[in-house]
Amino acid sequence: MIVAVTASIRPLAAPARRDAAVGVAGVVVALVAWEVLARSLEGAFVLAAPTAVVVAIVDNGPLLGRALAATGSTALAGFVIGNLAAVALAGLAAAWPRSQRTVTGLALIVVCLPLVATAPLLRVLLGPGDGPQIALAALAVYYTTLIPLLVGLRAVPDTWLDLVRVAGRGAVTALVVVRARASVPYLAAGLQIAAPAAFLGAMVGEFTGAERGLGVLTIRASRDLDVDLTWALATIAAAVSMLAYAIVGMIGRAATGGQPPTILAAPRIAAGPGRVRRTLASTASAVVATIVLWWGGIILLGITPFVARTPLDVVGIFAGTRDGGLTRDALFAALCDTAVYVVPGYIAGLAAGVLLAVLIVLAPGASGAIMPVAVALRSVPIVTSAPLIVLLLGRGSLGAITLIAVMVFFPTLVACLHGLRQAPGQVLDVMAVYATAPWRVVVRARIPAMLPAFFAAARMSVPAAVLAVTVVEWLATGTGIGALMARSASLSNYDALAGAVVLVTAVAALGYAAVGAIETRMLARYAPEQAS
Amino acid sequence: MAPDRRAGVTVTVDAATKVYPDGTEAVAPITLTLDPGRTTVLVGPSGCGKSTLLRMIAGLESATAGEVLVDGEPPTIVQRRGELAVAFQDPSLLPWRSVAANIALARELARLDRDDERVAELIDLVGLTGFAATKPAALSGGMRQRAAIARALATDPRLLLLDEPFGAVDELTRQQLARELPALWEGGGTTTLLVTHSVAEAVRLADRVIVLSPRPARVLADIPIKLPRPRRDSDPAADRLERAVVEALERGHAGGDAAQTGG
Repeated sequence: MIVAVTASIRPLAAPARRDAAVGVAGVVVALVAWEVLARSLEGAFVLAAPTAVVVAIVDNGPLLGRALAATGSTALAGFVIGNLAAVALAGLAAAWPRSQRTVTGLALIVVCLPLVATAPLLRVLLGPGDGPQIALAALAVYYTTLIPLLVGLRAVPDTWLDLVRVAGRGAVTALVVVRARASVPYLAAGLQIAAPAAFLGAMVGEFTGAERGLGVLTIRASRDLDVDLTWALATIAAAVSMLAYAIVGMIGRAATGGQPPTILAAPRIAAGPGRVRRTLASTASAVVATIVLWWGGIILLGITPFVARTPLDVVGIFAGTRDGGLTRDALFAALCDTAVYVVPGYIAGLAAGVLLAVLIVLAPGASGAIMPVAVALRSVPIVTSAPLIVLLLGRGSLGAITLIAVMVFFPTLVACLHGLRQAPGQVLDVMAVYATAPWRVVVRARIPAMLPAFFAAARMSVPAAVLAVTVVEWLATGTGIGALMARSASLSNYDALAGAVVLVTAVAALGYAAVGAIETRMLARYAPEQAS
Repeated sequence: MAPDRRAGVTVTVDAATKVYPDGTEAVAPITLTLDPGRTTVLVGPSGCGKSTLLRMIAGLESATAGEVLVDGEPPTIVQRRGELAVAFQDPSLLPWRSVAANIALARELARLDRDDERVAELIDLVGLTGFAATKPAALSGGMRQRAAIARALATDPRLLLLDEPFGAVDELTRQQLARELPALWEGGGTTTLLVTHSVAEAVRLADRVIVLSPRPARVLADIPIKLPRPRRDSDPAADRLERAVVEALERGHAGGDAAQTGG
């Protein structure tokens, strides 16, 4: 899960060249520190040195090449399919505005679906081939493209639309003549974030029993405690993700001829007068659409009752009519275990993101070293970083909380930094005239300006934190709802799996809504122009 | 018989009001008629509701009560025939289209043929010769405004609505535009409604000036301007009319009663 924030790429002017130099120096220092640390920890089976990584890559060249080609091709297929679906849905929402609430609500539900459960389900449904990888890559991409595209389709000055209206033309003409072209920079920004997301989806698909690919090799290397190969695989996956991010970004900038827009997150589903009624209406329409797709999918695809659980079955699971409440109690117990990791991880990630952003604003020199790394690391797939953090910090709560915090930290940092820089120049000038201390400027001008970006990141980080905790419980700690889903999948306990999918999705969506509610109240107070 | 595209329309505003959902009353009951082929200028203080009235006539806002008719039909019907054009205060050029393509956009939207010759002619008329292929970002504010006016004229509209079209440019450019551009729509039979808060501009351009009160807009004065055209920069008769307009505005500001004179 990635919040769609694109860093603004400045032309390579003198300060940018200095930043680049600082960035390169930062990478070199990090590599040297990594090498020294790895050598000092030799024999502990936790960290492979950069030189060992290079040797592992060279030694396993052909094997890694074939795996990369397999993962790359499924990621590409998913990228294309998911983006086409996103473009079609965004077009529908723009041409038929009444459908927009249902489309975005459905998109949120889809993004809250726990990969740990959907991946094995797709494996069962689609068989041993590339199907699950492609489907998961498409699902991972669909949201990251849909949301910026919806924002872009709406980010059109009213007078452009008035031009269409005074000619007596309707929403479809506005879509074709004005909105579609105006949204291209937003589409480019979405596609850039989607590129690494497709790679993540494909790798998660491979974790569930594919025959080839980087995910398959990662599982084998972790199981064999082959530390060098695990780090080599992580390095390759990270490098390919960053490369995909950079290449798609370059193509986007060439195509749009300008800076990518900053897209913090999906706009809040509702605000202003009648908010509660509209929120309930959009939630209900999204839930109904989900149930229709869910039940309709089971009937249309003829999924065997051994695997398929209808919405009625799930109601039975939670009402306790199917097994006397055994599954329900296990699910809630696991969810409580999960909360122990996810709540501190989420808060720690948000806090770290805000603090580092403030530090960078107070000491701008640090930005050149931190930001390129932060933007790059944002694109590293979690299934790649999870095994590394497990190697480094162990399978306990520290590793789990750290991983969740890392997932939340990067989007928060990038968003907050953007927000802090949105403080109006004239307000800053007024403070400069009175020689206001830098920390006071941060507190009085920059932090209020940052709040919209912070809350957008906080809201979008809820599904990201849920994804992180379920993945880390599955791959590392072996506790909580993530492990329960993985266990249920391997034991073919589809009651527990279906119940877990519904429960995790509902909790993530509720968390998202709860942060959204706090956001609406805070923005009404500190940034009223943003609250409608 | 199909109406002549160049013949102006009659606009009838009959006790039309506009109240926004939050209770803001933008336009008090207003009744007026815009005669075909004439240029009417609405003046009033900032935020008085004059742009709202223009948008109601354009069919972009609906009247809360009363009605607005163009040749006896709702404006939305006239929109669909491509007989109505608006130039906004913001030029609203699509940044990815060249000047020529922005002007041609109006013809595309009105389902007319592209007519490159007509587009080139308009580019020359508004003084943008040589800038046909230029993107809006490379133009000055005044040049963008000229392009927007050319776009509004591209369909030879029967009703031309100009919402402070010179509002966003510097004073010198504004005076130059106000001097040069009216010749483009004057005398062509188009019914023109222009919104401005510049009294001098109003008297220079109008056949008739309608002075509106502070919000909610109501008609304070309806002043016919019977000066010969083309109008001169300095004219004692124009000065007297400007004073009449200013006095009407001041009466409105002091809370004076709505008074209709002439018309």
